[in-house]
Amino acid sequence: MELENSSRRDFLVAGLAVAGLAAGCKSNSSPFETLIGDHVKPSGKKVKLLSVDGEEVEIDEAYLKPVPHLPPVSNEEQRIGIPGKKFVMVIDLSRCKNLKKCQSACNHAHDLNPGENWIKVDPMQSAEHTAPYWEPTTCMHCDEPPCVKVCPVDATFKREDGIVLIDSDRCIGCRFCMAACPYSTRVFNWGAPEIPADVASQPYSCETSIPQKKGTVGKCDFCADMTRMGMLPHCVSACPNGTFFYGDMNEDSVTNGAETFRFSDLMRDKGGYRLMEDLGTKPSVYYLPPVARNFPFQSGLENDKTENK
Amino acid sequence: MENSISTAYEEKIIQDLLPRKFKKSGRILVAILSAICLVGIYAYYRQLRYGLVVTNMRDYVSWGIYISNFVFFVAISLVGSLITAVFRLAGVKWGSPLTRIAEMIAVSAIIFASLIIIVDMGSPERFYNLFLYGRIQSPIMWDVIVIMTYFFISVLLLYYPLLPDIKILLRFKERSGARLHKVYSFLGSFWKGTHKQYLRSKKAINVLCITIIPVAFTIHTVTSWLFATTYRPGWDSTNFGAYFIAGAFLVGAGAVVVAMYIFRTWYHLEDYITLKHFDKMGRVLVLLCLLYLYFNVNEFLTPFFKMKESEAGYLNDMFSGSFAPVFWFAIFTGIILPVIILVFKQGRKPLPMFIVGIMVVVGAWFKRYLIVTPTLLHPFMPMHDVPASYHHYFPTWEEWAITMGSLAGAILVIVVLCRIFPIIPIQETINEHHETAK
Amino acid sequence: MKLLNKILGGALALLFLFPAGNSFAQTADKGSLSIAVSYYVANNKIPSLGVKVKTKVNGRFQNVGGIALSLFLDKDTALNLVGNVVTNDHGEAYANIPSSLKKQWGTSVKHTFIAAFRGNTKYDSTSGDFTANKARILIDTVSGRSVVATVMEMKDSTWKPVKGVDVVIAVRRMGGDLNVNDTPTFSTDSTGKASADFKRDSIPGDLKGNIILVAKIVDNDQYGNLSIEKTVPWGGKFVAKNEDFNARTLFATRGKAPIWLLFIANGIIIAVWTVLILLVANIFKIRKLGQEA
Repeated sequence: MELENSSRRDFLVAGLAVAGLAAGCKSNSSPFETLIGDHVKPSGKKVKLLSVDGEEVEIDEAYLKPVPHLPPVSNEEQRIGIPGKKFVMVIDLSRCKNLKKCQSACNHAHDLNPGENWIKVDPMQSAEHTAPYWEPTTCMHCDEPPCVKVCPVDATFKREDGIVLIDSDRCIGCRFCMAACPYSTRVFNWGAPEIPADVASQPYSCETSIPQKKGTVGKCDFCADMTRMGMLPHCVSACPNGTFFYGDMNEDSVTNGAETFRFSDLMRDKGGYRLMEDLGTKPSVYYLPPVARNFPFQSGLENDKTENK
Repeated sequence: MENSISTAYEEKIIQDLLPRKFKKSGRILVAILSAICLVGIYAYYRQLRYGLVVTNMRDYVSWGIYISNFVFFVAISLVGSLITAVFRLAGVKWGSPLTRIAEMIAVSAIIFASLIIIVDMGSPERFYNLFLYGRIQSPIMWDVIVIMTYFFISVLLLYYPLLPDIKILLRFKERSGARLHKVYSFLGSFWKGTHKQYLRSKKAINVLCITIIPVAFTIHTVTSWLFATTYRPGWDSTNFGAYFIAGAFLVGAGAVVVAMYIFRTWYHLEDYITLKHFDKMGRVLVLLCLLYLYFNVNEFLTPFFKMKESEAGYLNDMFSGSFAPVFWFAIFTGIILPVIILVFKQGRKPLPMFIVGIMVVVGAWFKRYLIVTPTLLHPFMPMHDVPASYHHYFPTWEEWAITMGSLAGAILVIVVLCRIFPIIPIQETINEHHETAK
Repeated sequence: MKLLNKILGGALALLFLFPAGNSFAQTADKGSLSIAVSYYVANNKIPSLGVKVKTKVNGRFQNVGGIALSLFLDKDTALNLVGNVVTNDHGEAYANIPSSLKKQWGTSVKHTFIAAFRGNTKYDSTSGDFTANKARILIDTVSGRSVVATVMEMKDSTWKPVKGVDVVIAVRRMGGDLNVNDTPTFSTDSTGKASADFKRDSIPGDLKGNIILVAKIVDNDQYGNLSIEKTVPWGGKFVAKNEDFNARTLFATRGKAPIWLLFIANGIIIAVWTVLILLVANIFKIRKLGQEA
């Protein structure tokens, strides 16, 4: 069998390519992305498939599921994150029309209570004579996170890949992190989360932030479980205008699924900036200013739900 | 001859100051306080069952009257260090009858500060995480450590001067009853009043007084840092440590004045808590009010002068907006009016002092509320994409019940303590009487 | 006759009217699904199929999950079954071609992939298909940092270059591939080749500066999705941009508190509690003195 004699690299690439493409996204076999290969342990069960040339090839079943079936990640690994990565998000304010598809995708993916929005799309206007625009905000995953500084029990933590997560099994609900966050991005589960019983009884994963628990804090987690599989966060995929770009600063590239740009080019050419830079929080979310707007600000007003103002 | 007179006078002091059984009015008071506590406990049961959703705290006002009550309790607990330690070290003799009251208030307040902060936790069943996984970088850890330390010091400072009085209490077995007598025996039957014992005790109390002052400063500074280590307008102030401590001394002094009047009237202690005490405490109160006013001016006038964009909303709300009535009430009734009343000699009589004391304490409670809520209603980012109820905050009945329950509970603890221990140190009063007689 | 006609006409009219204005309908009208079939070949080796199922709701397309489909090769029979799949929450499902279809596969260089839906209570039965010609894509590099992609199609057992196919030439990145220069796609010429200049200087690669170049055809009507990769040392060396993780900071985990904080905090605690412990010991000493007296 020609595949069995190939080098492990090609084997993995083929398997990964099948797995990655099958997931509907671009395959993620970048040179330092050994993660998927390392984590997909061959199950030992081989499947006979057809190659393009009409020959029989055998591939381990573990490589063929639509999404690589990763073993559950331990709490220690979740606290360290994916080494070698530095996740960053770029939000293009000239594209946002306040459709709130990002918000509904995020709320659905994380089973959030109504009114508990991890993504908020705010109408902003700096001053009387400056232009109004819609600004989606997620957790900024700051490099000097004030929320992490004040947590008394290490329930919220900063990982090596830049993502700040919450361990709902540890959180005591003191809400100091909510007071400390200047971006008002954290929400609290004041009552019992409205989730089905089978979801509520699952063991908690910091990367999926599911299941949310009563009396603990929640916030955007940059869909750490998706990024571990090389997929984009739900908000990025959900926006029809491609407003959200996501990527790895160590790769100097961000993508919204359809378009990919070099991060440094975007910043330089479009004048990217961060929110409340003067506070020294060093956020990981960059914004591109609302110039050459695709839509006028007013077209977003119809979607601004009055009961949610 | 002199001996028998002085012994007789001693006996009189002892009889006046021994703790007494509750009469009907005392029992009614205990019953009312207990009832309020029970309602509070029921409200807390509801909170445990349904979560903090039974309060009106939401994502913007994520801290409400539980936290402002916590700050209030911590502030009051500083009275112990003021009256006992500062006065003692400064050689202020007239303050010695008040030390026991002050320490009882301090111990009770710090207990309820700890309880109310546990009530505020969203997941109190994980309280032990603070000890298993605590981060020393967090101001909350500092607060937990300092509160435990201060509680321990206050208990010691209540206990040590109590030893000579226990010896006196042990003499009156029938009056105390079997149970209380056992308690007294356990606590201090070893105290014989020998010279060696007395020297050791005196040294220990001195060390305690010296130690409690920095710890007291630390406890309220660290509590103020729960706010000052955040970026929020109104909290992002370098002034907060000193501002809180000044306020704490003020409310503590006010609480002592209230307690002085109540005990004096209730137990007919006019010979021990004299007009002179009220006069002196009145002057102390004036001084502390002016000091607190100074810090308030610094805290509000300078940001008002600048009117930074991030602070403008919060300041306007406080001075002329929805919080203006509470704010000006707290400033006038809590600080300015007391000064005006107490500056006059007539104002420093017991009854006016009592009213002023109540004004100071009530004003201080609302001041703590003003520290917590207005800032939270003016975050940096616009309040958006949230249910409309998130834009306001008024506590629910559960929050009020628990708050009232904690206040009632604190008073109940003090009432129970003064049933067991003499409110005014007996032996010290006797000693002072001997000294003045010489 | 006339009467019969009238009766029949009336009955027919009723039959037509009845369903139209029928508020006592037993079953609601079933929705209709649109099924899109895609064909993928990665690195010219393993073919796979993807299906995406949508339905139109209020004029907008929505993904439909939980739809059971049967996939077939060329013919809708049990012998030609590729597999049975169920769409996920995003309305997508995937399958590989089992080796049992080796015979059918070898019969032609052109294959039709059919996805059939038998219908359920909510949706009518329908199907979608995609016909793909056997093709391959090759990637090569030329000195001067240029990338050449070649597209070939199998015709009569030989590979023939294909003209006018849009090719994407990019650098593999996480989540999405970065085009090698600002042009989004390149069209193959008569020799089946498309070339692009590599303009992403110093794009970070791995520790040695290797990057993976990829040439791919995306959603082509005749060939589906093809891709091929090649590793080249054209990238900048990897620079890690997060060294704070192991440092002692105020925002680190509990074991990595700054040294100055540890000193001050623990120093104060030890100092004060030593005093307190000594004071408690003092009580016991007083007790002993009392017992001696």
